[in-house]
Amino acid sequence: MYELNFSILYNALPAIINGLRITILISLFSSFFAFVIGVILAFLRNTDIPAVRITATVYVELVRNIPLLILLYLFYKGLSNIDINLPSIICGILALSLYTGAFISEVFRSGINSIASEQFEAARGLGLSRRQTFALVIFPQAIRIILPPLGSQFINLIKNSSLVSFIAVTDLFYVIYKGAVDDFRIFEFFIAGTIIYMGLTGIIAIITNLLEYCLKMPGRTIKI
Amino acid sequence: MFWSDIYYNFDFLMKGLLVTLKLASISIIGSLIIGIIFGVLRYSRLFPFNIIATMLIELIRSIPLILFIVFVHFGLLPAILGSPASFFQSSCVALTIFTSAYVAEIIRGGLKSIEMGHIDAAKSLGLNYFQRLVYIILPLAITRMMPALVSQFISLIKDTSLASTIGLIELTRSGEIIYERTYHELEILLFIAFIYFLVCYSLSFLSRKLESKPCYSFESKELTTVN
Repeated sequence: MYELNFSILYNALPAIINGLRITILISLFSSFFAFVIGVILAFLRNTDIPAVRITATVYVELVRNIPLLILLYLFYKGLSNIDINLPSIICGILALSLYTGAFISEVFRSGINSIASEQFEAARGLGLSRRQTFALVIFPQAIRIILPPLGSQFINLIKNSSLVSFIAVTDLFYVIYKGAVDDFRIFEFFIAGTIIYMGLTGIIAIITNLLEYCLKMPGRTIKI
Repeated sequence: MFWSDIYYNFDFLMKGLLVTLKLASISIIGSLIIGIIFGVLRYSRLFPFNIIATMLIELIRSIPLILFIVFVHFGLLPAILGSPASFFQSSCVALTIFTSAYVAEIIRGGLKSIEMGHIDAAKSLGLNYFQRLVYIILPLAITRMMPALVSQFISLIKDTSLASTIGLIELTRSGEIIYERTYHELEILLFIAFIYFLVCYSLSFLSRKLESKPCYSFESKELTTVN
């Protein structure tokens, strides 16, 4: 019978903290870049130039339908074939932000599209310019609708960041996996990993809820 | 470029694709069944069961899939069976359980979106709780949530690539085996990405068809007559 022995985790604590730091680092950088990429892509997909729009759409569809693991391998192993050798952590951040950026652009696009076109026409009718319409009318309404799915994309990003361990980044999952397999202490390390990942995703969920609460329009409930 | 690698190993890659598709289809069917059961349990007010379902769903939804696959393969299944499980079995179990948590949430969302009018009408026809659920609410919820379910299954197909990390020889792993021998990673990886894209995009095309065409036309007709 398997006996749980949590004292084994005590020895692995420095490694776990180190892995956690790398996971948080990758997640922070990737979230930032993914957000930027997502905003740019959503903007490109709403422009009037067909070539740009089609390119952005093709990019989003392509990335959304390819597994993240393949994308990571393409950056880490594939690029070295054409003499581009990036450090593995850069590859991880790059692949994660490109992957999540495509999803975030979709979230943005659906949020902007969910604002009724009358709002746009009314704002234009009042003499606002296109930029003013977007900044003053469309965006403030869209951000409230976008916030919950955006938060879940960031949660997904944190969970997906565990895959960078397969391109030789010693992140949290790598440490957990190594500890579990080296010592045959699967359950202890798994429970520790679960709690840490739950904590990380829980923090994002709390931040999202807080932001949603802060941005709530008084006297109006937003139905999604 | 060394595209001939793909030509010479085409059969091997297709064998891998077959394993991927088999894994995906078993997991889709399994997760649909388990997901509906757990979604209904979480939606229902059966006291201990809804709490347990909620806890299990939230637990699984908050951990990375790869952690779960490794846990199932090295920890859970050997502990239950008493002997190591095969790669296919453990990746099947892991993917099924993991996806069913997401399917349960989708089903619950569909169940919550049903208007009270349907439930009241079913009640007035004398259907009991179970009959209301099976004949009225669940079919409505599933048709309404079809696009979300399909996109979940697309991400399941993408997630099958993670089974390669515990050693199952599916599409990704068979590609790895080839390029570990030839060192022409880029071509093989691009080809694998293309195959995944073909499989997933055809499914998402289907889901878009479902979205654009109202598949619950009987419902809208019903609503217009009520109004």
